[in-house]
Amino acid sequence: MSEARAGSAPARGASPAAATGDVPALALAGVHKAFGRTEIIRGVDLSIPRGERHAVIGPNGAGKSTLFNLVSGRFRASSGRIELNGQDITADRPYQINRKGLARSFQITNLFPRMSVFENVRCATLWSLGYRYSCWHRLSKLADAAERADDVLQRIGLRHRRDALAGTLTYAEQRALEIGITIAGGAEVILLDEPTAGMSRSESDRAVELIRHVTEGRTLVMVEHDMSVVFGLADRISVLVYGQVLATGTPQQIRANEAVQQAYLGTAVAEADA
Amino acid sequence: MGSGASGHRSAIAPAIRVPRVRFEPIDLGRWAIWSATALLFAVLPLVFHKGFAITLLSQMGVMIVFALAYNMIFGQGGMLSFGHAVYSGLGAFFAIHALNWVGEGRLWLPVSLIPLVGGVFGAVFGVLFGYVTTKKAGTPFAMITLGIGELVFAASLMFPGFFGGEGGVSTNRVVGEPFLGITFGPAIEVYYLIAIWCFASMAAMYAFSHTPLGRISNAVRDNPERAEFIGYSAQHVRFLVIVASAFFCGIAGGLSAINFEIVSAENVSTARSGGVLVAAFIGGAGGPILGAVIFIFFAVALSDYTSAWQFYLGAFFVLMVMYAPGGVASLIAMNLRVMRHGLLGRLAGPYGALALATGVLLAGVIALVEMSYQLTLNFASGSQLRLFGMDVDASSWQAWAIAAALVAAGGLAFEAARRRFARTWDAVQALIEAKSHPGATT
Repeated sequence: MSEARAGSAPARGASPAAATGDVPALALAGVHKAFGRTEIIRGVDLSIPRGERHAVIGPNGAGKSTLFNLVSGRFRASSGRIELNGQDITADRPYQINRKGLARSFQITNLFPRMSVFENVRCATLWSLGYRYSCWHRLSKLADAAERADDVLQRIGLRHRRDALAGTLTYAEQRALEIGITIAGGAEVILLDEPTAGMSRSESDRAVELIRHVTEGRTLVMVEHDMSVVFGLADRISVLVYGQVLATGTPQQIRANEAVQQAYLGTAVAEADA
Repeated sequence: MGSGASGHRSAIAPAIRVPRVRFEPIDLGRWAIWSATALLFAVLPLVFHKGFAITLLSQMGVMIVFALAYNMIFGQGGMLSFGHAVYSGLGAFFAIHALNWVGEGRLWLPVSLIPLVGGVFGAVFGVLFGYVTTKKAGTPFAMITLGIGELVFAASLMFPGFFGGEGGVSTNRVVGEPFLGITFGPAIEVYYLIAIWCFASMAAMYAFSHTPLGRISNAVRDNPERAEFIGYSAQHVRFLVIVASAFFCGIAGGLSAINFEIVSAENVSTARSGGVLVAAFIGGAGGPILGAVIFIFFAVALSDYTSAWQFYLGAFFVLMVMYAPGGVASLIAMNLRVMRHGLLGRLAGPYGALALATGVLLAGVIALVEMSYQLTLNFASGSQLRLFGMDVDASSWQAWAIAAALVAAGGLAFEAARRRFARTWDAVQALIEAKSHPGATT
């Protein structure tokens, strides 16, 4: 584990085949999800190349969060196939998917409230640094974990709150820590679920800068309602309507797409432009 | 997001190295605490040297190991188990059989290492039962542990060949060649054996809580779902923590086998499981040691004076859950905080009033309880009993009237004192808040 130096947080999960660039970071093929007789995801095909910043947008109830829950292993797809760097993860549990190089954040802040900010982030580094279920390493001696955690705190701007309990942070700080925990394991594919939800305009602007900064060189998939965030950050956008991908393309293509205009975007884009 | 923008980074950088320097004196403090603990264990029996005191201290030592082991899953891991006596009890049975084998010459093992046999078998059953119980979390987990506790208790009566039936398995701990003249015959030698194992177990469990697995068990306690998304299976973490906890429970069982020279079905009973839960809860997070000491005080010292000790322990437990859910440790921590701010003096008056009212109320309650016991369970020995150094006739209406008056007066005074105390306490807390955050306006 010594080669996994702190601070550099090398991307993990990149298989040799993936390194050639042919294999998409994330690929969904014919993914369906039904709860009882209600189909929420109705056949989604999606391919996200490595290093892309991809936004999933759509009206409320379109199934965006469900899609994230399928990809990250919280729910299991009713049918279809999900691949991470060419590896099948359709039936994997969340921890197995995380070990293969995918990390996610949550729309509703999901931290370890009774542990310090530093511990929250350090815990998120432990598996990827190879310490796993060790009960023979002393935490205080693990310089690589501490340095990587401090580096993440630096990047998310929570250095000064290092020793505060996570449960006592302000909302914006908790959102930042949410992202910190997500990136700390060095995962190659990052899923962010509405990272700017509930933020003021200035907070949201800082969040966009932060996300751009911390996902440099990684693959980012995000669900976001704020169109200015989406169009400012995403390389490509997928529009999800009623459990199906209506269109995928660059921000310009999506803006110009008539079906998207009719189904959803018309008002939303107008608002963002205003 | 605060200062997430990169422009703020250079401003923060100079502060980075400050916390690292501070670690050194904290480490020194840790050494001081551990040395003081070792010294305390060594000199305690010199201060309290009566036979009864040594017995009491030995039982406290065993209970400390058991309560700390329970706290690994309860306080640290967030699992509520109603069947943890299974691990200590089964460990104790294997330890006592090992001791008997040593006595019969079928096994060579120094008596001082017998607790390790308990630990190993505790862990073995931790693997077995942990595998089953950790398939669920939360309330289902607690229910399964209760079921396994009942199951093992029933099995212990069904297989008398191993468990010794109603009478249990007895042994003689004075076996093998004495080492440096130590035979483990005298109670004081057993005390030091327990003290050494207790100290080693405390150190090992403390160390465990500062390993990746120990810390991740806190994470799983706080938020099992999120733990899964940082690469950890909550089920695997819980399983491993149960095995580690069961190992130390088994050591406690092995120590109790040596201490009492008998192990019976009672050792794996739900009552025993409830006892360790009560001890861990009374102590609170960070204070299972205190909880164990208080529990043994009730169970051993108080039970010598009154058969109603379980009533008092139960009442104490209920009051703790209601008024101090953080346990004794949190009460101490809160008062230390007040003391650090130099405000403890303000609480002296309210504390005095509270103690006085509690004393009157307690005297009345104790009188009622003891007279009831005398008239029911102890009626064969007549209605006379000794209470607070006085001869009291439990059949006289005057005695009941006085006791009832004490309860009424004490109750009223307690409520008044409690309200006054709460007011002063809130005022003191507000003062401390104002001091800690001078900028904050309320």
